Parts: sequence; structure tokens; C-alpha cells
Amino acid sequence: MTQTIDISSYSAITDAIRNEARRILSDSTVSAVIGYTAGRRKGSTQPIVITTADDADQLIFSAACLNDLVVYLTKAKKDVPKGGRIGIVVKGCDLKALVGLLGESQLKRENLYLIGIPCSGVLGSLLKPAAELTTETIASKCCECTDQLPVGCDFVPTVTPTPLPDLEKRYANEIARLEAMNPSERWEFWKEQFSKCIKCYACRQVCPFCFCEQCLCDRNRPQMVEQTPRPLGNTAWHLMRAMHLAGRCAGCGECERVCPMDIPLNLLNRKMAKELKELFNSEAGFEVREAGPLTSYREDDDQSFIR
Amino acid sequence: MSRIGVFICHCGENISRTVDVEQVAAQAALMPGVAFAVDYKYMCSDPGQNLVKNAITEHRLTHVVVAACSPRMHERTFRKAVEQAGLNPFLCEMANIREHCSWVHEDREEATDKAIEIVGMLVERVKKNRVLPTITVPVTKRALVIGGGIAGIQAALDIADAGHQVVLVEREPSIGGHMAQLSETFPTLDCSQCIMTPKMVDVANHPNITLHTYSEIEQVDGYIGNFQITVRKKARSVDEHKCTGCGVCMTKCPQKKIPNSFDCNLGTRTAIYVPFPQAVPNVPVIDRENCTMFKSGKCGVCQKACGPGAVDFEQQDQLIVEPVGAIVVSTGFELYRITEKTKGSPIKGYGEFGHGKIPDVIDGMTFERLASASGPTGGKIQRPSDGKEPKQVVFIQCVGSRSREKGISYCSKVCCMYTAKHTMLYHHKVHDGQAYVFFMDARVPGKSYDEFWRRAIEDEEAVYIRGMVSRLYQKGDKIVVMGSDISVGVQVEIEADLVVLATAVQPQKGADLLAQKLGISYDKYNFYSEAHAKLRPVECATAGIYLAGACQGPKDIPDTVSQASAAAAKVMTLFAKDKLEREPIVARVKESGCVGCFACKKVCAYGAIEEKEIRDRQGNLVKVVAYVNPGVCAGCGTCQATCPSKSVELDGYTDEQIVAMIEAL
Repeated sequence: MTQTIDISSYSAITDAIRNEARRILSDSTVSAVIGYTAGRRKGSTQPIVITTADDADQLIFSAACLNDLVVYLTKAKKDVPKGGRIGIVVKGCDLKALVGLLGESQLKRENLYLIGIPCSGVLGSLLKPAAELTTETIASKCCECTDQLPVGCDFVPTVTPTPLPDLEKRYANEIARLEAMNPSERWEFWKEQFSKCIKCYACRQVCPFCFCEQCLCDRNRPQMVEQTPRPLGNTAWHLMRAMHLAGRCAGCGECERVCPMDIPLNLLNRKMAKELKELFNSEAGFEVREAGPLTSYREDDDQSFIR
Repeated sequence: MSRIGVFICHCGENISRTVDVEQVAAQAALMPGVAFAVDYKYMCSDPGQNLVKNAITEHRLTHVVVAACSPRMHERTFRKAVEQAGLNPFLCEMANIREHCSWVHEDREEATDKAIEIVGMLVERVKKNRVLPTITVPVTKRALVIGGGIAGIQAALDIADAGHQVVLVEREPSIGGHMAQLSETFPTLDCSQCIMTPKMVDVANHPNITLHTYSEIEQVDGYIGNFQITVRKKARSVDEHKCTGCGVCMTKCPQKKIPNSFDCNLGTRTAIYVPFPQAVPNVPVIDRENCTMFKSGKCGVCQKACGPGAVDFEQQDQLIVEPVGAIVVSTGFELYRITEKTKGSPIKGYGEFGHGKIPDVIDGMTFERLASASGPTGGKIQRPSDGKEPKQVVFIQCVGSRSREKGISYCSKVCCMYTAKHTMLYHHKVHDGQAYVFFMDARVPGKSYDEFWRRAIEDEEAVYIRGMVSRLYQKGDKIVVMGSDISVGVQVEIEADLVVLATAVQPQKGADLLAQKLGISYDKYNFYSEAHAKLRPVECATAGIYLAGACQGPKDIPDTVSQASAAAAKVMTLFAKDKLEREPIVARVKESGCVGCFACKKVCAYGAIEEKEIRDRQGNLVKVVAYVNPGVCAGCGTCQATCPSKSVELDGYTDEQIVAMIEAL
């Protein structure tokens, strides 16, 4: 049964964001605010960087605010001023990525003003941005969300997020389906998925954790990853991506959303996250970690894989 | 353009038996970039090295590959030779065709093919080697000695006499170790205390020795020449500087019935105590577990009795950081306690001997305390159960040792001699007594050792029975010993008053934990491993750390003292230089690619990675990147494996080189 999800709180959230942005820009708490604004098509949204209090009314929040804006803090920062404190609108999933970047010395907390969203869920796709948010259209990541209310922000609108109805846990179910396969069947599944890749690297560009100035796959001395989209090089790239994100990925799901070939990239990331949770009891959260599970060693680490 | 020389060693027959070395040379000569290839019987010998040197000049070689044994064995040898011929030593690489090839294969043709592949890989790798300048680091001319038994004392005195500062750390309240517990020592029967205590006093009085007793190693940082040692000085509850060692506190202490572990629990001591009268330092320590003040908060008698006001119940553990350049590990041994079966240990125990259940079944160290003039009985041989003088004493050798089935396959080395000594001491003190010894075989090599053992049998009337004991049991006030005499093939049954077990020598408890702090290797019994059994017997594989005494394996006093002096000599050799040369195989950061995530810093076990600010000409901060301190880097390569953008690389093992090697296959 398709059920509508109540997002009536989003208009109150929009008002609260505007007021807060106006305030922090006019008293020079921040030099810019990164948020969402309405897009050209009805219902669509796009990221915006505002630097004056007058522009605050351009900010909105709706079920079509899918982007993880954190990526603008590290690399896609053309319009983000270099100096001063920056305000940013974050959902719970985005905040986990931001916290990860704090732990990896990419951001400093004192340079940020975090505007948290009490999130009731967003759409799975922007193809129909004006669509109603229902148990069908909601993003897969929202189905398994436990972090609707961000923690540790400078400002959060006093709105209670709508408790999510009992949704089908799409990733968990899919992981269970893959785990039930034998290794060769599983390999066939991923081979098929990776063969679709056209090496556009949209997944890399949209990922907040892919912050390297020069990606390993752009290096040619030695060439680690084949650059033409062929099955072997594609597999190398996706395995490398999965390994580099293991223990870091916060699950914003942007890679999967932007993939033009519909490769289930977040499924791979969720599987890695599950492994790390089981092996090292470690998962992305709201607390800054000194070192991730794969960059730290503890005497009681599971070593059963050494045979 | 590379002009590579390839030198293929026969290693006598070690390599040439399975690998057709001539064919390897012929094939190597055809490899791109190779200007010269030759095989020779012993490349590491003087003529072999000269062959390399001459070829470098004659053929104007730019790089050298030596196809021989493991680089652990002779990399240094050949790099030195190459340097003497005027090439940078790091333009020479070893292709391991012995351990990786000839020793592990039988088929000559296949092994030869593999050897050619290995050489091919190294040829590709060496082309990308860079000229590396040697790194020099300063040496802190100050040594740490861990463990204050005879080994540690000897090493500390030797180093201190050479004019260097020594920090001696001992876990117990006094130095002296096991030797201080012994009665008389083989093969000359001189009193252990008489030869030991002057050395202990020398340590206490030596201006170059800093003594930390009742202390343990908390943390070890740094590397050869530049270690930072954190020592935990446990709260003694007595101020070492105020205490005069008068001993009034001990006479006043109301807790008088605590078993004295120094006397193998035969005697008792007070809660504030020195382990034995000749202790160094002669400063008591309060055993907080048994002290009334610490248990109930009421008492403080010792504090009231102490004239100088040295007793301090509030004292806390202190952490002291000592910078040192070299470490001697001399943590010694303990006896195998057959009653204590450790969970998960492969050692199965000897329940059939009743140790711990039958009071008159004791171990060798307990007998030492019985025979010692300063022991609980004043040197009279008395049974622990009723204090009677035993008339029949059975000594059982190899208890725990030399039994694979029971978990310890090694020989404890000292038991044959000390049991012979025990029979003599017994005979000297109980003239009408009879000593029996069950033994497998007598292992008494050593100067004057065989004579000593023969004397026990021929002059001192000990009866040696070749065979093992199957069972012991109490019968009235006697202990029935059932064994076999395999030389005549009969069962033997002796009614003994006292049974002494020569239990196995084991490393100290926690030896493995200390090894992990130090980063040294140890064997399955937790004995510390030397770098090379024959040629580097006192050095650890970890640079700057040396071994002395029974922590490396069972040893008697003469061997222990020799090894301690040898370790001291190694330390002095190190301290003879003002600067150390280090291999420049260290990691380097490519700052252009580094994004400063510092994953490398988090995984670096050596603390070699620092944060470095990059600024433009106006002084504006551009970014913060990782920087590898070449003096600290150990070249393990963990940072390289961790860096997501591959912006840090280990010289000599760059990704480019590894890929080149793979592509050569």
C-alpha cells in the first residue's frame, strides 16, 4: 500500500532557515550560506551559495532537496568564499559526511555554522521533482534512516520530523539477497553492474569523501586504473572506490543518485559499512572520530580473517 | 640509458644444485638494459665482490642486481662493495633466488625459469632506483638495562665503567634477581651472596648508573640511538631519599605472617619489608595488598616509628621519561610452576609429582633457600612439613623440560649441574643422608663441569638412577617415589623424606608483553630471539636492542655474565660513534598530491609523520600536508599502503617499481 508521507513541516523549516540565514549573514557570523533554492522546473531544487542577507529569501527546503551540500565545502567550491566562517544546510545523512571530513582534517568545526534539518525524508529521484513524497517515491537511504534529527548543529528549526512509516528496507533486503548467492553468482551480478559503467566519474565528483586533488585513477606513473570504460578497468575503479570508502562512507547515497547507468553504488557502500560494523563495531555517526576503523589498530580487533 | 650488471651466485651448491645458473646468466644478458651478466661460485667472497667491483668500472655499469640469497643475508655486503666501486649503494638490488627459489623447488627446469623471472623483475625494479643519500642521526650515549639480575648488573657495570650513563630498571624492590637467592654456585661452590652482593653495591654506588627499582617499562618510543623510555616507578610508600635503611619500621609492623616469596614462601615477612637483608637499595617497600593501613585505613605504626619520616602512604606511581640510545634486555627467567596450569597454554603440567599438594615435594629454588646460610632455616636442611632433617632425598631431573608431549621440548641446561650441586650440599650438611637422582642423561659440558658431576657421584656418594619417575604419593610421613632404572631394566621404589624437582626454566611472565612494547621478536616459549643464532647472538633484529641472560634461553651464571659483557660491548660499539648512519629507505611525501587527510599519520607506528604548512611567497597558508621525518621513519611502508591518493611513497619500493616488477613477469 502506497502511503503519503507528511512533509507539511517543510514550509516551517524553510521559514526558519531563511530567518537564521538572514541573521547570521547580517551580523557577519558567516560570510556565506550554502543551501537549496528553487530550480527552473516546477518543484525542482538546486544548490545555492548566498553571501548577503537580502538573498536569504531564496533559500528553501523541500522533498526535492537531495544534494549533499557538504561536497561544496571541499571541492566544488567555486562560489564559496575562501576565508571566514561558512553556513551550511545539512540533513542528518549529510551531517555524517561532514563529521567524517572533520575527522579527516579536511574541515575545521570553528569555520562552519551548521543549520540542521529535522528531516522527514526526500525523494529518490529528481526526474519528477514535483512528485508527492510517498512510501514509493521516498529515497532508498531514507527507508533505513535512523538520523532524522541532526545532532551537534548550531541551529536546528524547532520542528519534529514526521516519524517514518514502516518502510521496506531496500538495501538490507538487497544485501541479504546477494549474500544468499554463491560467490560466482555474486561475481556475475557485480560484473554485469560494472560493465555498464561509462567512466564518467560522476560518482567521484559528487562524493564528499573523494576529496583528493589528484585521483589515483588519473595517475599514469604507474597507471593504476585503466581509463577506457572496459570491464577490467571498470571493476578496478569500483573496487578501489569501495575500498577507499570503507569505514568512511556516511551513506548520503549521492553516488547512486547521479549514476547515469543506474549502477547500485550505494548498495556496495552499504555492504562495506555492514562488514565494518560487524568486524570492528564501527559506523559513521555524529561524533568526530580520531581515526577510522581501517586506520587504527586495537589488540582486540577481529583477526579471524588471517588464516 | 641503464647499463645494468647482473651477478648470479651459485652459493656453493645451494643455488646451482637446482638452478642452471649459467642459463640464468645467459638469459639475463639478453634483458633490456643489461650490459653484463656473469655467474660465480661464491659471489659474497672476496674474489666474488671484486668481480662485481671490477665489472662496474670495466663495463661502466649504472645499476647492479645480485641474484643470490635473501637481502637480509647479504644486501649490506653487496651495497658496500658497490659503494667502494663508486656507485651509490642504493643502485644495487638483490634478487633472491635461494630462499625464494632453489631451496623450495626440486624441478631444475622450472626452478631455472623462475630464477630468470625473479632476475627479470629485479632488473626492471633497479632501473627505477634513485640515488639515495645516507641519513645520519645523532646518538644519545645513554643505555637502558631492563632487569637487575646478574645479567643486567654485569651489563650496567660494564657500560658505566666505559664512561656512559646507564639507567637500570628492576621490577622487584631490590636488584639481585635469582642469583641473590642461590646458596652456593657450581662448579666451585662459592657462596652466591658473597660474589653477588659486592656487585650490587657497585651498582648502587656507581656515579654513572641511575637505578629505578620497583619500576617497570611503561612505554617505548623512538629508535636506535634515540629511544624515549617511559618508566613507571611504582609507589613504594617509602621516600627513597629520606629512608636510612634502619629497619625499625619492619620490626614494628604488626603484619608478620606474609609468605616471603624471596624464600619461596618458606619464611614470612612483614607488610613493610626489604626482600632480603642485603637488598639494594636498602629501602623497604609497603606491600599494599597486605598492609593494615591500606586495607582498613587504620594502623600507621611504621610511619610513627620512622625517625626520618620516610613512610608516605600517599605516594603515587611516577612516570619518568628517560632518553636513551641503546637497550639491553635482561629480564631473566622463572621456574616452571607445575601446579599452575595456565589456561590456553600448551604446557600440561606434572600433576603426578604432587608439587603443591605434598608439602615435601619442592622445586630446585626452594632447595636453594633451604641450603642458604641466609635462608629461612639458616642453612639447615629441614623438611617444609615438619622441620625434620630428611635422611633420604630424591632429586628428579627434567621436570617439564625435554618433553614434547608435555609442552616444552627444550633442555633447561642448568638443572644437571645444580642437581649435582644439591646432592653435594645435602651430603655436606646431612652426613648420614642419602641422595638419589633420577636423570635421563647428564648434560654437563663446560669448564670443570664434568669433573664436578663425577665428584657428586664418586666422592659425595649420590646415587644416580637413569630413568624417569612415573608417580609420587604420600605414605605416612614418607613420599613413595616410583620410577624405573632403565640401565638395568627394573622398577625402583624409594621411600623419601624430601623430593626436589628440577623444574624447567621459563621466561618471566609478561615477557611477551614487554617484547611487544620493545618491538622485538620472541619464540613460542616467549624467549627473546636473537638476530642470528650464530653470528649475532646478542643482538635483536630490532636495531639498538641487545639481549643478555636467560631471557633469551636457559643459561647458567658464567654464560649469562659472558653474554651480558658481550651486550655491553655492543652498546659501547654503538656509543663509539657520534652519529649513526641509517638506511635511507624511508617514505617521502609528494606534496603536490597530498590533501592532508593524515591517514598516514594515524597508521604510522613510529610517530614519523608530522604536519607541515605550505605557504606562498606572501606567507599565506596554501595547505597543510604530511611530512615524513626521515630520522624516525623505519621504512615499513604502511603509510604508502594507506594513502588514498598514493601521495606518499617508500623509496626503493615505489608503486612504479612494484608495477614494473609485475609487468616484467
